[in-house]
Amino acid sequence: MTITAAHTSEPILSVKNLSTSFFSDRGEVKAVRGVSFDVYPGEILGIVGESGSGKSITCMSVLRLLKANGRVLDGSAVFEGKDLTTLPSRQMRALRGNDISMIFQDPMTSLNPTLTVGEQIIETIRAHRQVSRADAAKRAIELFDLVKIPSPSKRLKSYPHEFSGGMRQRVMIAMALSCDPKLLVADEPTTALDVTIQRQVLQLLKELQSRLGMAVILITHDLGVIAEVTDRILVMYGGMVMETGRVADLFESPRHPYTQGLLKSIPDLSSGEHQRLSPIPGSPPDMLHPPAGCPFAPRCTHAMGICTEAVPQLYCAGDTPVLRAGQAARCWLHHADAPEVPEVNAREHEGAA
Amino acid sequence: MNEIAKTDTPKAEPAATPLVTLKGLEKHFDVTSGLLGRHKQVLKAVDGIDLEIRRGETLGLVGESGCGKSTLARALIRLYRPTGGRIEFDGTDIAGLDRQALIPYRRRMQMIFQDPYASLNGRMSVRDLIAEPLEINRIGTEKSRTERVHDLLTRVGLNQSHATRFPHEFSGGQRQRIGIARALALEPELVICDEPISALDVSIQAQVVNMLEDLQEEFKLTYLFITHDLSMVRHISDRIGVMYLGKLVELADRDALYEGPKHPYTQALLKSIPVPDPKRKGADEGMRGEIPSPMDIPSGCRFRTRCPLATDKCAAEEPPLKEMGGGHLAACHYAE
Ligand SMILES: Nc1ncnc2c1ncn2[C@@H]1O[C@H](COP(=O)(O)OP(=O)(O)OP(=O)(O)O)[C@@H](O)[C@H]1O
Ligand SMILES: Nc1ncnc2c1ncn2[C@@H]1O[C@H](COP(=O)(O)OP(=O)(O)OP(=O)(O)O)[C@@H](O)[C@H]1O
Ligand code: SF4
Ligand SMILES: [Mg+2]
Ligand SMILES: [Mg+2]
Repeated sequence: MTITAAHTSEPILSVKNLSTSFFSDRGEVKAVRGVSFDVYPGEILGIVGESGSGKSITCMSVLRLLKANGRVLDGSAVFEGKDLTTLPSRQMRALRGNDISMIFQDPMTSLNPTLTVGEQIIETIRAHRQVSRADAAKRAIELFDLVKIPSPSKRLKSYPHEFSGGMRQRVMIAMALSCDPKLLVADEPTTALDVTIQRQVLQLLKELQSRLGMAVILITHDLGVIAEVTDRILVMYGGMVMETGRVADLFESPRHPYTQGLLKSIPDLSSGEHQRLSPIPGSPPDMLHPPAGCPFAPRCTHAMGICTEAVPQLYCAGDTPVLRAGQAARCWLHHADAPEVPEVNAREHEGAA
Repeated sequence: MNEIAKTDTPKAEPAATPLVTLKGLEKHFDVTSGLLGRHKQVLKAVDGIDLEIRRGETLGLVGESGCGKSTLARALIRLYRPTGGRIEFDGTDIAGLDRQALIPYRRRMQMIFQDPYASLNGRMSVRDLIAEPLEINRIGTEKSRTERVHDLLTRVGLNQSHATRFPHEFSGGQRQRIGIARALALEPELVICDEPISALDVSIQAQVVNMLEDLQEEFKLTYLFITHDLSMVRHISDRIGVMYLGKLVELADRDALYEGPKHPYTQALLKSIPVPDPKRKGADEGMRGEIPSPMDIPSGCRFRTRCPLATDKCAAEEPPLKEMGGGHLAACHYAE
């Protein structure tokens, strides 16, 4: 991929051709099918896509947190020169929660209800750093302060259930930041929160990312959140990256029918008129039996014969003039011999959207 | 055959009478707290709501988690017995009716729930799930019920062949359609949608919302639409009520609310919506603090602890919900 165009630095994480499956009585669930992407220091990379499209499993594979029946079948994930997919588990454990940290959707199930939040955060710090309890406690107070939990030293003595959802999510963020990670993976970190608290948490994430210079992978299904906080996005469908690029480019000039459908599904608040929504017909594929060709073909209004037969490649800016620098789209319509479909592959359409 | 359309049509009321009128509706829960459950406290989930739901409209209800939206809905359809106030449904106060007296009203109000996974009994076939309310109410024969199920399935965008399958064989969006078909089986007049789309994918949400709009037109349904999604509620509602800590703080026509919110809470809430437009990145900070506990509601105006305009008056006096012109209501001493 030629996404490097916009970046001068080396990626902090480089994932190449990652494939992960789950094996059960029902067969093989091909959850992730050849996903590649880079994350650069100091950027927020967003991952969006249909439920079941492989967003979480992509990250879980990189973090090596798959359930026992899941296996990475192919590919690599290089973090600071080390391939995480082959790293001995001891080294991987040392890395997790240290240089790489994560936040999950449900802060209640991720915190131990029987321990005070202070004990949990102090334990986390001491698991990774050779520091005294007192120093770890001091650090915990700093972190609570950082994530704007009022009266931090008092709140360390509280149990998780004594916090509201928003506060628990901030505790999770504080814990995730306790060892100054270089990469933070946040899987739907604000989905369970109210809009007002969501805004506070996102603001906080953005502030910390620019202040501490860490890279963030943010998984969310909320296109508003994507638009507001991310720099670049991956759009996933059926275990694959369907489109990627700078967030402004993908919103302004999406070049994959799925991305276009996704953007058309949300109500347009700028127009006062009541407009009917344009949903994408049909439902997402069953990953036990993924379609042979383009995973989006069964729902795509532009699907051609070849779409149901073979998976298209990820076309880049160099392959066709309609894709912008750093943008790439997995769609047969970007093949040189494809018929013209104005909104997808016609040059004149540029900017008209 | 259009069996469903033959609804026991609402009596020819003058269009002006609302389908539902809530007067001072209250639902307080007694809760015990402390390690040994020694402290008895009152949790004021719904704390005096005056609200009308007009025939054929979609009334949106928004507010932060825990503000009492679902409790209001459950009290309204009498899944809960209210602790105070009146619920006038089509002119009759149903707030105090017993189980027996409620039966004729139950049919006329149905609810669609948030979680399409949890709200359907996984051991029942789709046919039985949808026919169950008819069976309970002893409506029709086995055969006519099955026909009705087939008709409902096609109306919600599924087909007859789905009738023999079980919920786990369906996607989230399809399960929500099954839940909707079930809710429509009894030809209700009022349908309460409690977060009907929040568990669904964006691309599927739009399918369900369009379908709800079509069904409303076809069956002349009245909707109370509860949601966190402030973009979708604007899309679907005619009027929108905003709740805060058990009370209605603002009520207005959809566009009036979004274009000129009068209550500081609504203003902050609307500013918090993430806008799907990267060009408008980095909007301002939205709201401070978090919602206080409904067991310890602030004196005076309950929003004052987070309000940028709060004064001593706000701590001393509870602002009434007052008419600001054109049916726009707001409960703030300083709203103008
Ligand atoms: N433990 C498991 N066993 C079998 N299949 C699994 C398992 N975990 C996930 N899957 C499957 O892998 C696929 C990808 O799942 P994943 O959790 O990555 O989706 P996602 O994009 O994160 O979706 P969501 O938006 O719902 O979180 C899905 O088809 C899912 O059913
Ligand atoms: N059966 C109950 N017993 C005690 N308290 C309850 C009960 N049901 C709800 N509550 C409390 O009443 C308040 C209002 O809850 P409710 O479920 O109505 O909120 P909501 O606005 O629907 O929130 P959400 O958006 O999270 O669904 C909450 O504080 C809740 O904990
Ligand atoms: S009365 Fe005061 S505290 Fe209440 S909303 Fe109005 S300005 Fe805010
Ligand atoms: Mg996920
Ligand atoms: Mg609720």
